[in-house]
Amino acid sequence: MTILWFLFKEGFKGLIRSKYSGVFSIFIITISIMIVGLGYVAARDTLFMVENIKAQFDVDIFIKQTAANDDIASFEKKLAQMEEIEHLGYISPEDAAVKFKKEFGEDIFDILDYNPLPPSFTIRLKPIYRNLISVEAIANILQSDPIVDEVKYRKNFLIILEKYQRIILFSVLGIFVVLTVISIALTSNSIKMTIFARRDIISTMKLIGATDLFVKTPFVIEGTLEGGIGALLASLIIYSFFYLQNTYLQSFFDYRVVVSYRFYIGLIVLGTFMGLVGSRRAVKKFLD
Amino acid sequence: MISFINVKCTFRKNAGVKKLNFSIDDGEFVFLTGPSGAGKSTLLRLIYMDLFPEKGKVLIRDYDSSSIKDRDIPLLRRKVGMIFQDYQLLKDRDVYQNVALALYASHYKTREIKSRVYSVLNQVGLGHRVHHKPTELSGGEQQRVAIARALVKEPIVLLADEPTGNLDPRVSVELINLLNKINKKGTAVIVATHNYSLIPRVPGARLIQMNEGEVTSIT
Ligand SMILES: Nc1ncnc2c1ncn2[C@@H]1O[C@H](COP(=O)(O)OP(=O)(O)OP(=O)(O)O)[C@@H](O)[C@H]1O
Ligand SMILES: [Mg+2]
Repeated sequence: MTILWFLFKEGFKGLIRSKYSGVFSIFIITISIMIVGLGYVAARDTLFMVENIKAQFDVDIFIKQTAANDDIASFEKKLAQMEEIEHLGYISPEDAAVKFKKEFGEDIFDILDYNPLPPSFTIRLKPIYRNLISVEAIANILQSDPIVDEVKYRKNFLIILEKYQRIILFSVLGIFVVLTVISIALTSNSIKMTIFARRDIISTMKLIGATDLFVKTPFVIEGTLEGGIGALLASLIIYSFFYLQNTYLQSFFDYRVVVSYRFYIGLIVLGTFMGLVGSRRAVKKFLD
Repeated sequence: MISFINVKCTFRKNAGVKKLNFSIDDGEFVFLTGPSGAGKSTLLRLIYMDLFPEKGKVLIRDYDSSSIKDRDIPLLRRKVGMIFQDYQLLKDRDVYQNVALALYASHYKTREIKSRVYSVLNQVGLGHRVHHKPTELSGGEQQRVAIARALVKEPIVLLADEPTGNLDPRVSVELINLLNKINKKGTAVIVATHNYSLIPRVPGARLIQMNEGEVTSIT
């Protein structure tokens, strides 16, 4: 106990003594964690919106005019058994005529004296199948049924959505990796400066019989504290951002940020981890 | 307690120590003298295993330089106290903290640390200087802090490398008297010095004289 407390105090004193390099690395970690945290929420909410758009994505299956009612019924049964389908709707030629009138304001029977609209099914896929590859595969299977005339879905729309999804995902991941590396490198550098400034205590400690662990631990604690404090500051700033948005600005942007306490804990863990890794790296490099 | 057996330890250009054979027993007081570059500091560093022999071996109680593991070196150093010409105190810590550091590093408990530090500071005559920084002390006082730091772990031997190098003659004599007092309580003391006038101050002390990395005379 005595020794743990001593090492912790040494680490803390080191942080206070290190002044500029310590403050600088805390500052960088704060900025990094802020960007990572805000980037995460922005990406999460954008992706959520994209998913919502995809949820309205329907596939229409047009049946040949010549198809017999029995065949349509057994085709419907077949669709109902497909596990990829979340929702299935049948639109008879009469329903289609009603829909036509609703959409175009004209009665199809005023234009033609018969109903040219074919019967169709509208299916909505389960979320995991709402991607280009699955949709194409399913469309191909359906297309091969002899009573099916045409399978229609908004392919280009899906391609664009998926492209944006990928861009968002990879840019957030990229930012995350780059900032993590930068933060670790800067903590490492700050601890390196501390180590050089504290050469006297290091050699004295070794001389009076301190174990390696005893000599190194204060530096690791110092770096971990830098990471933790940086992340704590970032969390506070992000929390105030969100609070401001949700209480005062919501009416302007019509957007409410919802994050759980786990988000903040995650950020603090991340910052602490950056500090820990950075300082361990410095200690490994300059104290062995 | 300390044995050098055919110890060779050299740096570039063959400087260092060449073939040392001697032993020192528990509780002895030994002066180590010789011209600059004779190998005195090298010999002391071999004892606290800051250096290792290329040939031969150094034995300190149960520790053998040829087989000691890295993790046992701190344990050895807790049994060997060291002081230097330049004191090597931490300037941003007061006297108490400088001495206590040795005990924290040896995993003592807070209460024991406190009582030991105060008692050793009284022993070296610094009971009234506990909360001064090294820069507020005279050279002689700083060296006594260093002695207290070395002594607080109750070492079996105290090594002093040129301990009076920066002190005036009167303070040097005081310091040697203090080391003598410590030795009387049972701790072996080895003092490397140029200052021959100190030798008669310790009646009965052994003398090891060195030159160019070899022992030239030993009593
Ligand atoms: N780290 C080192 N690298 C190279 N040579 C060294 C090193 N340490 C000591 N030496 C050489 O080894 C020889 C012995 O040095 P040592 O320091 O033991 O002498 P010394 O008797 O303590 O001298 P002094 O009285 O000046 O302190 C010297 O020639 C010195 O130059
Ligand atoms: Mg020397």
